[in-house]
Amino acid sequence: MNDSREHQRQALLGFLRSIQKAGRPVTDLTDSDSLVASGLIDSLAILQIVTWLETTCGIDFAVRGVAPEELATIGGILGVIDQESGRSPA
Amino acid sequence: MLMQLQVGSLIEPFSGRRWVPEEVHRQTALRIGRFQALGVRPGDRVFLPFGNRLEFFAELLAIWRSGACAVPVDARLTAFEVSNLVRAATPVLAIADEATPAEVTAALTEAGVRVLATTETGASPGAAGDLRLDDDALILFTSGSTGDPKGVVHTHRSLRARWTGLHDHLPGAAFARSLCMLPTHFGHGLICNSLFPWLSGQDLFITPPFRPDLVARIGAVIDEHAITFLSSVPAIWKLALRLARPPQRGSLQRVHVGSAPLSAAAWEDIRRWTGTRQVCNAYGITETGSWVAGLADADVPAEDGLIGTGWGAVIKVLSSDDTTELPAPELECGPGESGYVWLNTPALMKGYFRRDDLTARAVAGGWFQTGDIGCLDERGRLLLRGRERDEINKGGMKIYPADIDAVVERHAAATDVCAFALEDPIYGQSVGMAVVLGDASDAAIASLHAWMKSHLAEHKLPARWWLLAEIPRTSRGKINREAVRTACAARPALDLPALLARAGGA
Repeated sequence: MNDSREHQRQALLGFLRSIQKAGRPVTDLTDSDSLVASGLIDSLAILQIVTWLETTCGIDFAVRGVAPEELATIGGILGVIDQESGRSPA
Repeated sequence: MLMQLQVGSLIEPFSGRRWVPEEVHRQTALRIGRFQALGVRPGDRVFLPFGNRLEFFAELLAIWRSGACAVPVDARLTAFEVSNLVRAATPVLAIADEATPAEVTAALTEAGVRVLATTETGASPGAAGDLRLDDDALILFTSGSTGDPKGVVHTHRSLRARWTGLHDHLPGAAFARSLCMLPTHFGHGLICNSLFPWLSGQDLFITPPFRPDLVARIGAVIDEHAITFLSSVPAIWKLALRLARPPQRGSLQRVHVGSAPLSAAAWEDIRRWTGTRQVCNAYGITETGSWVAGLADADVPAEDGLIGTGWGAVIKVLSSDDTTELPAPELECGPGESGYVWLNTPALMKGYFRRDDLTARAVAGGWFQTGDIGCLDERGRLLLRGRERDEINKGGMKIYPADIDAVVERHAAATDVCAFALEDPIYGQSVGMAVVLGDASDAAIASLHAWMKSHLAEHKLPARWWLLAEIPRTSRGKINREAVRTACAARPALDLPALLARAGGA
């Protein structure tokens, strides 16, 4: 994994810690674990993830569109960041 | 004159399943036969810990035509909460589906309630008995799931009065193809968004509730099924406005937003997205059969808190909230003057189930004291200005702090507690909790957290905790939730995720 992606991952984990429900450390999750099914966040918290991606990564979902399943996992969110920054997923 | 009920078609747009009225009647008859075979009698109560699918509506009609009373139950409740409701309502039977959590089914069975799958109908249709208008039809538990449950009882008469009131005030054609994305265990979703159009012979499109992946497709669903009407809550609209493409075909004729305050800005956003000016803030309370006021013609300038006029209800704003005396004319506030909102409607509940004490505290001579603060403008339109009721409105779902306090107080580590409303960017409000602990060790806090998880439904769990030395109280010893909120706002919340990780309580 390159430095930039690791940086994005740490930033994402830090954000998820700030909105997560208590009871499950975010570090326990793999990239493919569902954030909602694992109990880490509420289903509607996807809106907070969208807002975070817009403000910290400059992604314009009004233009790009969004499929909630893309944002269902840590790997999925990092994949969206990669796509928008023109990188290939690591 | 009460309206004649006549079902329309039921459609699940995401699964593609559809029942035309003849199939609804067949499915209902099979369930009536099943209830007769099981010995369900008039006056019995039947729990429905499932919903938002075709079979739910056939169960509801079959229960009613058997003379029994339906009790839709939120399947997200914990086993503890379900057991409490069983003790309060003593159901003879529960009907579930494959989505009903195993712990809910187990709690019902353990409490001696037989649980059947909704698909277990048997093969012999039954004939409907006479339906009596003043029989209990529906009980919706709104609070007290952890202590003394508060169940709103509606009779067939009060429900029909609600639908008749809506029928008289709203344009029927707008409801021809209605979409419900709200849960069917709460009044807004069930009585008004679903049953009002469907039992007026209109087609009802029903989806699983509060699913972001489905909300993201709402524009496409509206177009594909030529949806004319839908109702929702502001939190869902926040999601839809961000995630879903707007409908393109102009089928929507009317949109209601309810169960939580709607700002003028959000109102205009929804108008732009839906393509119709007929968007209104529908004021509803479970006790009045949900939607009780709004704008029949909603093409007016959006305004914070604007509701409109009564739909089969008389609205008064009084300077008093005292239900020990009849509302008197001299108590009425003038135009623009804020006071307590009272309602008089034939759709008013029969009362709280086996809780005459609570009914007496809410109703005076047929007038219902809503607990809301508002005013009437020069045109007699209601504007809501606030809420005096002690509740947390999380995206339209009402959570009662006393339910949370009652659970926490029973844990050995807690000596005092106060749950309260926190501002939330998505839900409008979420749950905060101030707690005084006799033992504030990581292990004790982790134990309290585990205790709460096993006793409170997920959506009631506090998002933030504060540890205080004492809970601020009034001079009369009552908890002052506003003072608690202020005290907590001035200090950082407990980092519960980190603490639980340390304590191994994950």
